[in-house]
Amino acid sequence: MSGGSLDREPTVIARTVTRLVVPVILVTAVALLLQGHNLPGGGFIAGVLTTTAFALIYIIYGLDYLETELLHRRPTVPFGTGTGIVREYGNVFAAGLAVAGGGGLAAVALGFPFLTQGVAFFEGVPVYHEFEIASAVVFDLGVYAVVVGALLTILAVVGAE
Amino acid sequence: MQPSRTALLALLVVPFLGAGLTPLVYRVLGERTAYYAAAVAAVCLGLVGSLYGTTGTVVVPWIPSYGVSLALYVDGLALLVGTLASGVGVLVFAYSGGYMHGEPGQAKYYATLLAFMGSMLGVAFAADLIALFVFWELTSVSSFLLIGHYQDADASLYAARKSMLVTVSGGLFMLVGFLVLHDAAGAALGEATFRLAGEGSMLANADAMVAELRTRGLLVPVLALVGLGAATKSAQVPFHIWLPNAMEAPTPVSAFLHSATMVKAGVYLVGRFRPLLFTDEWLVLFAALGLATMTVTAILAVAASDIKELLAYSTASHLGLIVAGFGLSGVLGAETGAFHILNHALFKAALFLVAGIVAHEAGTRAIDDLGGLYRDLPVTAAVTVVAALGMAGLPPFNGFYSKELLFHAAWEVATEAVAGGGSPLWWLIPAVAVFGSVFTFLYSIRFLMLFFGEKPEALGEVHSPPVAMTAPAALLGALALAVGLGGVTATAGVHLAPVEAFVGSVVDGTVVAAGDHGGHGNFSYHLPTKVTPYLLMSALTVGVGAAAYPSFDRIRDGVRAVRAVDPLRPNWYYDGTVHGLDRSAAIDIVQTGQLRTYVVALSLVTAALTLGAYAAAGTGLPALVAAGLEPALVVVLLVAVVGAVAVGAAPSHIAGVLTLSIVGFMVAIFYILASAPDLALTQLVVETLVLVIFLLVLDKLPAFYGSIPRLRALRDGLVALAVGATVTVTVLLSTAATPEDVIAAYFVENAPVPAEHGPVFVDAGGGGNIVNVILVDFRAFDTLGEISVVAMAALSVVTLVAMRERGEVR
Amino acid sequence: MTQVLLAVVLGLLFALGTFLVLRTDVVRVVWGVTLMSQAANVYLVTMGGLTGGAPVLEGGHGGETGAVTDPLVQALVLTAIVIGFGTTAFALVLTYRVHEEHGTIDLGEVRAE
Repeated sequence: MSGGSLDREPTVIARTVTRLVVPVILVTAVALLLQGHNLPGGGFIAGVLTTTAFALIYIIYGLDYLETELLHRRPTVPFGTGTGIVREYGNVFAAGLAVAGGGGLAAVALGFPFLTQGVAFFEGVPVYHEFEIASAVVFDLGVYAVVVGALLTILAVVGAE
Repeated sequence: MQPSRTALLALLVVPFLGAGLTPLVYRVLGERTAYYAAAVAAVCLGLVGSLYGTTGTVVVPWIPSYGVSLALYVDGLALLVGTLASGVGVLVFAYSGGYMHGEPGQAKYYATLLAFMGSMLGVAFAADLIALFVFWELTSVSSFLLIGHYQDADASLYAARKSMLVTVSGGLFMLVGFLVLHDAAGAALGEATFRLAGEGSMLANADAMVAELRTRGLLVPVLALVGLGAATKSAQVPFHIWLPNAMEAPTPVSAFLHSATMVKAGVYLVGRFRPLLFTDEWLVLFAALGLATMTVTAILAVAASDIKELLAYSTASHLGLIVAGFGLSGVLGAETGAFHILNHALFKAALFLVAGIVAHEAGTRAIDDLGGLYRDLPVTAAVTVVAALGMAGLPPFNGFYSKELLFHAAWEVATEAVAGGGSPLWWLIPAVAVFGSVFTFLYSIRFLMLFFGEKPEALGEVHSPPVAMTAPAALLGALALAVGLGGVTATAGVHLAPVEAFVGSVVDGTVVAAGDHGGHGNFSYHLPTKVTPYLLMSALTVGVGAAAYPSFDRIRDGVRAVRAVDPLRPNWYYDGTVHGLDRSAAIDIVQTGQLRTYVVALSLVTAALTLGAYAAAGTGLPALVAAGLEPALVVVLLVAVVGAVAVGAAPSHIAGVLTLSIVGFMVAIFYILASAPDLALTQLVVETLVLVIFLLVLDKLPAFYGSIPRLRALRDGLVALAVGATVTVTVLLSTAATPEDVIAAYFVENAPVPAEHGPVFVDAGGGGNIVNVILVDFRAFDTLGEISVVAMAALSVVTLVAMRERGEVR
Repeated sequence: MTQVLLAVVLGLLFALGTFLVLRTDVVRVVWGVTLMSQAANVYLVTMGGLTGGAPVLEGGHGGETGAVTDPLVQALVLTAIVIGFGTTAFALVLTYRVHEEHGTIDLGEVRAE
C-alpha cells in the first residue's frame, strides 16, 4: 500500500489481530468449502473468504510481505504482472478452470454427459460409520481455485498501482 | 452407395483442426508451414476422393434435445466443389511456400487460408440450410481476413471491407430467403425443416415446395433473396465491384478465391437450388443475371490496366457464364454450368498463378509494361497458351466445350420459346451470349500477348521462378490441356471416361428431376462433327474477335471513357453510400460518443416497450393484500433506500463508497431474512472486498464531483423515474404470478440423498445444500461458464495494466 | 403488502442507479451499475418467494420438500454476486486507466479530446 489515506503504519494491535484472525478465516474458508455440499458453504463463498484473508494481510503488512516473509524470496520490482506472485495467482485460476473442466471430461470418459457428478458412499469407515464423497467436490475445488486466483490477481494488480 | 460417416466428418474437422494447430506448427517449421498446410489440404483431397461414387445424407445429432442436427449431403455437385477447394488448395499452399517467402504474418495467413478451405468444404457438403448459411458466412469472414492480409495498406483494408459488406449483406438476404423456405416447408412437407437435401427434404419434394411458394406468392421473392446471396458472393453485376479490389490479397489467395472457393460458393448455391426452384421465373432471372454479368464484366476486363484486374473481371464474367448456364432450362443448361465450373477452375487458377509469377519475377503487373516474356519464362508461357486459349473458348482447349454448351442451350431455349409463340426478344439470349464472348476472346488474347511480341525496353531483367511456383501452375495447365484433348480423342471415339463420368454426376445433382429429360450420368463432350447454328455462333465469336483485336487499344480507350462516367459505375454508388453514411449528420445524433446518450435511449426504449407490452396484453395490477409485513424487512429495505439516496447525493467519492456499502450490507441482511444463508455469507464478504478495492482505486483518482446543472438533473430524474416505474410494475406483476410447474421442485426433490440408494449413484445430487448442489451438479456447465467469466475479468484487469507497461499508450 | 414494498424499493433502487449512470463522473457511473446489479439480485431472490425456509436439508436427506424457498434463484444470485465483484473491479481499473490516459474522469471532457 503506498500513498494516500492508507499510508499510515498500522498499529501493533492491528498487526497482532491480523496474525490471529487470518488463520481463523482460512480455516473457516476450508471448512465452508468442504461442508458446502450439505451445509451452507461451497466454492464461491470459500473463495471470497480466502481472498479477504489475503486482502487483510495486504492491507496491514503491505504488498511485499507475502513474498519476503512467507515465501522468503525477493519481490519482483517493479511489481510486474508477467512475473512473480501475480503470475502465480494466474496459474491458480488457470489450474482451477482445468480442474473443473477436467472433472467434467472425466465424466465423459466414463460414458456420462459432460460434467455429470456422482456420489459414492463408503460403509464401515471408522468414526463416521457411513462416509459420503461426491465427485462434485472436485468441481467445487476448481471453482474455489478460480475465485481465489482471479480475485487475488485483481487485488494484487490494483493494489500495486 | 452411402458415404462414409467418418470420412465426411473428418473432412470438416481436419481443415479447422489444421488451422488451429498452425501457430504451433509455425513455431517449429517457420516458412515451411506451407508444406504442412499443403499436406492438410492433401488429406482433405484424399477424403473427398474416398467419397467419390457415393451419394446420400449423413446426419450427426448436435443438440438432440432441440432437434438440431448437422446434416451433410454428398452428390456430384458437392464432390466437384469439394475437389476443387481441396485440390486447388494443395497447389495454392505449395505455391505459397515460394510466393510468401519473407512476407509478414505467415502463421495467420496459413491458419486463415486453411479455415477458408474448411468453410468452403462445409458449404459444399452442408445438407441443412442453417449449416449452409453458417459455413457461407465463415467463408466471408475468412476471406475478409485474407483480402486484408496487408494490414498496413489502405487499399487492402478498403478491399477487405468492401468484400465483407457486399457478401455479408447478400448473405443476410439469403438467410431471409432460407427462413421463407423453412416456413413454406412447414406447409409443403408437413413439418417445418431446414433440411435441403436427403430424405424428407426440400429437394426431395421440389414440386410441392414450388407449388406452395407459388400459392403464397412467395416464389419470386425467394428467388430474388437466394439470388441476391448468390449474386453478391459470385460477383454478379452490379455486385461485381468487390472482386477486382480483392486482388489486393496475396496472389495465392486471389487464385484460390477466384477459382475454387468464395465465388464458387455463389454458383454452387445456384446449382444446388436449381432442382428445387427451377421455373420460368428462374430462367428469366438467372439467365438475364448471368448473361448481363458475362457481358459487362468481359467489357470491363478489356479496359483493365493490371493483369490481376483483368483476371478478376474475367472471373466475374465466367461466373456469369456459369450462372447463365444454370439459368437456362434443360440438361444442356445444367451441363453448361457443371462443366464450366470445372473448366474455369482449371484455367483460372493456372492463370492466377501465372500472374503471380509474372508479378514476382518481372516486378510489375501493368499490362502496358509487359511483353515478350516467353524468352525468360518458357514454361509459364506454355501454361498461359493452354489456359488463355481455353478462357477464350478456342478449340480444342477446355473452355471451348462448355462455351459451346452454353451457345447450344441458349439457342435451344430461344428456338423453343419463339416456336411456342414467345416474343422475338428471346433471341437476345443467344445474341448477348455471342456479344459477351467476343470480349472474352479479346481480353484472353491480350493476356496471352504478354508473353509474345517485343519485350519493352523499360522491363528489366526477369528472373526464373522457383519450382514451387511453376510446378503448381504447370500441373493445372496440364490438367486443363488433358480435359481439352479429351474432347479431341472423344471425337475419334476414345472418351476421357473419368472426367465425363464426374461431370455427369455433377449434372445429376443439378438437373430438375421431373422437368429435364434424359441425361442421367450420360454426359460426354467432343469436337463438333457437323455444322450447327451454335458452331456458327462460336465461329462468329472468334471471327469478330480476331477482326477486332488489331484495334484492341481503341476499344479499350472507348470502354475506359464510358467507365469514367460516374453514374455508370456501381463503385460510385458504393463509395457514395459508405462515405455518405460515415459523414452524415444522422451518425452524429445517434452516436454522440457520450455514454449518457446511449443510456437514455436504451432506458427509455426499454421502459416504453415493457410498459407498452403490459398495456397491449391488458395486464392489470394485482390486488393488494394488506397483511404480512415483517418489521425487520421494512427496516432493512428502508435503510437500503436511504443509503442509495445518500450515494446519489454523496458530496465526495469516499462518502459515496461508504454509503454504497451500507446498501450492500442491507442487501446481505435481506438475504438472511429471505432464508438464503449462502447468499448472505457471500454478499457480506464480497461487500468487504468491494469496499477495499474501491478505496484502493479512489486513492489514485481526483476527487472530482462536478456540480449538476439543474435542468440536466431534472431531465435525468425523469428518465430515472421512468425506469423505476417500469421496474416497480414489473416486480408487482411478476411476483404476483404463481406458476404451476416450478423448476425448483425438481431440484428440491433430486438434490438430497435419495431414501434408497446404492453405494454409487449419479442421478441425484446427494447433498443437503440444494443451492450448492445446483451449482456444482445440476447446472455445473453454467457454473463452469461463470467461473470463466471471473477468470476473464481478472485477465482483463491484468491486460489493462500490462498494456500500458508494454508502452502501447497512444 | 411485502410485494408492494419490495416493488417500490426496487423501483427506487433502479431509479437511483439510472440517475447515477447518467452522470459524467465515471466513478458514479460505476456506482450506478453496482447499485442496479444489487437491485437485480434482490429482485431475483424475491421471485423465489420469501416465505419458505432455507434450502438446506438436514443431514443431506430429503425431508419436507415443500417448505424451502426456491434454491435455483439463489444459485443464480450466488454466482452473480461473485461475477459482480469481478466486473466492478474491472470497471474500476478501466476508470483508473481512463484517468491515466486522459487526466480526467469526466466523461464529457474525455469525449471532447
